[in-house]
Amino acid sequence: MSILPPVQIQCPKEHPDTEEVRCPSPAFARMHLIKGKDAIDRYLAMHIKGLSKQEAAAYRNSYKKNICIDMLRQGYHKSFAELFTLIEKWNALREASGPGSAIWLQKSLEEQPEKLDQLHFFLTSAEAAQRSEYYEEMYLNQLSLAYCFNKSEDRWLRNYFYEQCYKTAQLIKIDGGRKEAEAHSNMGLVCEEQGQFLKAAEHYEAFYHLTVGRIWKDETGRTLNTLACEHLWRIYTLLADKMLQNKEHQQAIKTLIKAFEMAKEADNKNMEAEAAFCLGLAYHSAGEEDTAILKLNAFLELSKILGDYGGIGRAYEALAQVLVSLGEVDEAITYLEKFLNIARKVQLTHNLVDACTFLGNIYNERGNYSKACEYFDQAFCAANVLADLPLVNETKVYCGIGKAHNMMVKVNSHTGAADHVGIIYLLAWKENRNDMCTDPFTVGQSGTVALPDISTDAKEEEPVIQIS
Amino acid sequence: MQTERIVHLALPRGRKAFCELCLAPATVRCGGCGVTFYCEVEHQNADWVSVHEKICQLLIPLRTALPFYDSEKKRKHGREQKISREKFLAEVTHNTAQKFLYEGKHEDAIPAALHSLKFNISVHGLNSSELVPAYLMLAEASLGLGHLSQAEEYLSQARWSVLKTSQCSPAIESKLHRNLGLLYVAKGNFEESLYHLANDIYFASCAFGTNDVAVSGGYFHMANVFFRQNRMDVADSMYTEVTEIWYNHFKRLIDQQYQSLMSPSEINMLPEEETTGDVLDESQQAEATQMLNAILDIREQASKPKVDKIATLVCTLAMFHCLIFDMPKAHELAKKTLHLIKLEPVEGLEDTLHRLVKLIKSKPFYVK
Repeated sequence: MSILPPVQIQCPKEHPDTEEVRCPSPAFARMHLIKGKDAIDRYLAMHIKGLSKQEAAAYRNSYKKNICIDMLRQGYHKSFAELFTLIEKWNALREASGPGSAIWLQKSLEEQPEKLDQLHFFLTSAEAAQRSEYYEEMYLNQLSLAYCFNKSEDRWLRNYFYEQCYKTAQLIKIDGGRKEAEAHSNMGLVCEEQGQFLKAAEHYEAFYHLTVGRIWKDETGRTLNTLACEHLWRIYTLLADKMLQNKEHQQAIKTLIKAFEMAKEADNKNMEAEAAFCLGLAYHSAGEEDTAILKLNAFLELSKILGDYGGIGRAYEALAQVLVSLGEVDEAITYLEKFLNIARKVQLTHNLVDACTFLGNIYNERGNYSKACEYFDQAFCAANVLADLPLVNETKVYCGIGKAHNMMVKVNSHTGAADHVGIIYLLAWKENRNDMCTDPFTVGQSGTVALPDISTDAKEEEPVIQIS
Repeated sequence: MQTERIVHLALPRGRKAFCELCLAPATVRCGGCGVTFYCEVEHQNADWVSVHEKICQLLIPLRTALPFYDSEKKRKHGREQKISREKFLAEVTHNTAQKFLYEGKHEDAIPAALHSLKFNISVHGLNSSELVPAYLMLAEASLGLGHLSQAEEYLSQARWSVLKTSQCSPAIESKLHRNLGLLYVAKGNFEESLYHLANDIYFASCAFGTNDVAVSGGYFHMANVFFRQNRMDVADSMYTEVTEIWYNHFKRLIDQQYQSLMSPSEINMLPEEETTGDVLDESQQAEATQMLNAILDIREQASKPKVDKIATLVCTLAMFHCLIFDMPKAHELAKKTLHLIKLEPVEGLEDTLHRLVKLIKSKPFYVK
């Protein structure tokens, strides 16, 4: 299990206007405008005299071949080689994974004329730009291609073109490295998506160094440097999470400190708070409770400034956890109660469940079963509101534990007394299965207290937990 | 060469003799086999130089009447024997013609190619894809001699055969389109020739992959067309591609040899692995010399010579000469490359050159 809260992994974003990237139909488009047989016949009837050998061959050949030949005729041999190798590569991949795999059922590039058209258009434009050494234009064309292939089954193509962009961007010198920085950022996102966090971090670092001190802005108006900081913060947190899973606490803390600095540099309080929180958790799991409390308090302050109640709640919860592990249970309880209040106030039901369960557990451990029972009940109610079945089941079990503990004291006392009254009490309880060992003479009227509907599996679990 | 004049009246009744090459009424016949007729001594001479000398005696059993067999089994055996003889002759004549073509002796190639065609027809029939190579050789020879209409006719035949059979190998189709492309270049129809050369590259890529030397020919001819159309940037990019293909090909071969040179123990263990003799076949040799020298000429005569590209080219040529055991030439070219890369260093070239020079010096018949 990961210790840090989950950080959303980012992948290269979709281009804002993918529709517009579609290539305009080139001159030879009429070859593929005619797809149905009827249309071909009509076309032939109309133009039969003008049908040259080449045109006839164009009908006979596959679409891929037509596109390849068209590229070659205009001298775009690199585009041809690239397209050809890409198709071969895909086929080889497909052969390698064999029938039954996901890729086996997918359509080959050869069978998707729209994609071939896009490839044809942008590859040739890129090559034309390359010939006249307009690397910027070449970069833009390759980038458009990367944007074109955004569906999950085209990932390999998109990644390939991001890589090409990256190679091209290194040739662009006149813009001071902006394109190179963007290419690094894209490569970082690709690596992040593939789970190669270290490689991604390298790219983001390069991105950061290239943008530091620059005022370049992206299309949403944010500076690229902030973007770099954000990426770095995210990747560092992800890396730290991995390290914590491998029990490399010190390294994780170092990485998280870097993340914290990045968040500060990006001047983003949210990220800063998040980084502080993660640091607190990391220190806690490393066993440095004092520092952990310090960091969590910083997080608490930041959350207060931001007015982020969820954050404040989490801060209290984490603080309580640290305090519990330090043995200062009373203080922990005060924090938890604060947490509970906040959760109630802002209707954070999930947090409410967490807080109640936590409090219940603490009371349970201290032997204050009636209080524990009370909190578990609250947790159960809250969970019912959420209609989250696993959570409901979990709280059910807690309720069971609490009630059982609660009963145990009284049952024990009656059994221990071993007198007639005690036996009557016990028998009455056995008859009713009420959750209180009430006076047997009043039982008939009192009725059952709203007992949560404990499912059979929860009942079965009860004794096991009690013994443990 | 023995020539006998023939007297038509002396021939068996109903049997007309026609010239082997032009199908005109014959006046002479070969004294060696006695079964081959010609219209003039000129044609006999041409055939003799081309292929007849090799196959003279082999023609006798094919062209005399079959002996009388007294059983079906024997007759069948006789027919099979005839077919296998024809097949053998078709192959011999094909190889001869091909060799002449590589050497650039187009005139000498024609009779041999004609024979090849004839034998192939008699073995496979008129409608078969086996005739295509023979047609292609004839077309190539005609192109070489400048007989365009003749070449066009042969190519049309070949194209028709390919279209009809529809299971032709991409290698053959590539060759067909290359010849068609060359035909249209010769006719000056650049658009058409580009179309065919593009087809050539496509088929060659299908057959061998985009980086194989078989593809380089298509690129080279295409580049020439672009060069003549004055689209220099395209031509330049394609010439570079051709050079790179050959460079990588030779580099791989040189590296192999270098490796076996550096670890001689392996050679002793696997002596048959050493394939220095046939690393380059004749067609590749001919293509490489033609293309690389032509590109070098173009590059050196350009108004602004690009030193780095010339260096790669010269290095490629040096490797080529080393591979065909022309060591003095290889050494000279290697020296030239060294001089060029001192002017402008090219990435990776120095390393290759270093290996090449070591390899050249290791050869026993290297003369200083």
